[in-house]
Amino acid sequence: MRIVEVALLLAASSCGTKAHHEPQTFQVEIRGMHYAPATLPVAVGDHVVWTNRDVVPHTVTADGWFDSGSLSPNQQWSYTIGQPVVFDYRCTFHPTMKAQLTPK
Amino acid sequence: MKSQLAIILSAATLLLASGCKQKSAEPPATVGEAPGSAPMGSAAPVAVPPPSAGSLSDPQIAAIVVAANQVDIDAGELALKRSKNEEVKKFAQRMITDHTAVNKSAVDLVTRLKLTPEPSEASRGLTAGGADSRATLDKLDGGAFDRAYVANEVAYHKAVIGVLVSQLIPSATNPELKTTLVSVKPAFDAHLQHAEQVQATLAGGGSGAPGAHAM
Repeated sequence: MRIVEVALLLAASSCGTKAHHEPQTFQVEIRGMHYAPATLPVAVGDHVVWTNRDVVPHTVTADGWFDSGSLSPNQQWSYTIGQPVVFDYRCTFHPTMKAQLTPK
Repeated sequence: MKSQLAIILSAATLLLASGCKQKSAEPPATVGEAPGSAPMGSAAPVAVPPPSAGSLSDPQIAAIVVAANQVDIDAGELALKRSKNEEVKKFAQRMITDHTAVNKSAVDLVTRLKLTPEPSEASRGLTAGGADSRATLDKLDGGAFDRAYVANEVAYHKAVIGVLVSQLIPSATNPELKTTLVSVKPAFDAHLQHAEQVQATLAGGGSGAPGAHAM
């Protein structure tokens, strides 16, 4: 009987429920005309904070998803992940600057 | 003996001349050019003269950096006034914004270091060369102006990057000045790549923008 109770309890806890994900905060540094890291795995609920460490302004723009607008030197901007998709983002001022957020 | 700087200048001149040469059978540029427009002209490259004998001092380096940025700001302002091509104008505005920011950073640094920029043959040559180049560009119109301006930007950024790497960074003695010079090089590299992309677009290329997609 005890074994059956334990088995039922385990089944109830795993059936129809996802493991709880504690949101994390990740830092992306914009320096030397690059985003670092260039590829960052993130989960829904995670926060990503970009900090512009260059002397020129940049943007963090994923068309249709998010746009920081112009970030001055030392300015920060953050985005909370709402979808488990790949976000290809770029700087609209500098065409060579591209990076990705990927789903974990 | 030719200095490395003189070689860079010659290479920049050659690149600019070959980029601006228009063959009789070449079709007109597809962006912003009307049939029968004025033939493409050529702009003199911005001169990057050799530094004075011996290595450059930190005050001289500071003056060269400020002059180099100002030359591109002035060229960008001319392009904003003269060009009708949106991509060229967007590029020109970027040059103005970025080089103004780099100059502000350089001026803030030399102020903090109590370092007074010292004009030299090199910085004066840059300024004079910039003025000459703008005078030549000012005689052009339409697509001819756009192509010459962008070709000049490609050559100019290549020349300045060369000077930065071969002369300014190695000569800087103050560690903060050296670090600043190293840190701004990527901006010049990115500008060069951007200019080359605009140049390709003017010659008939195109581009698309990235977006998001589900895995």
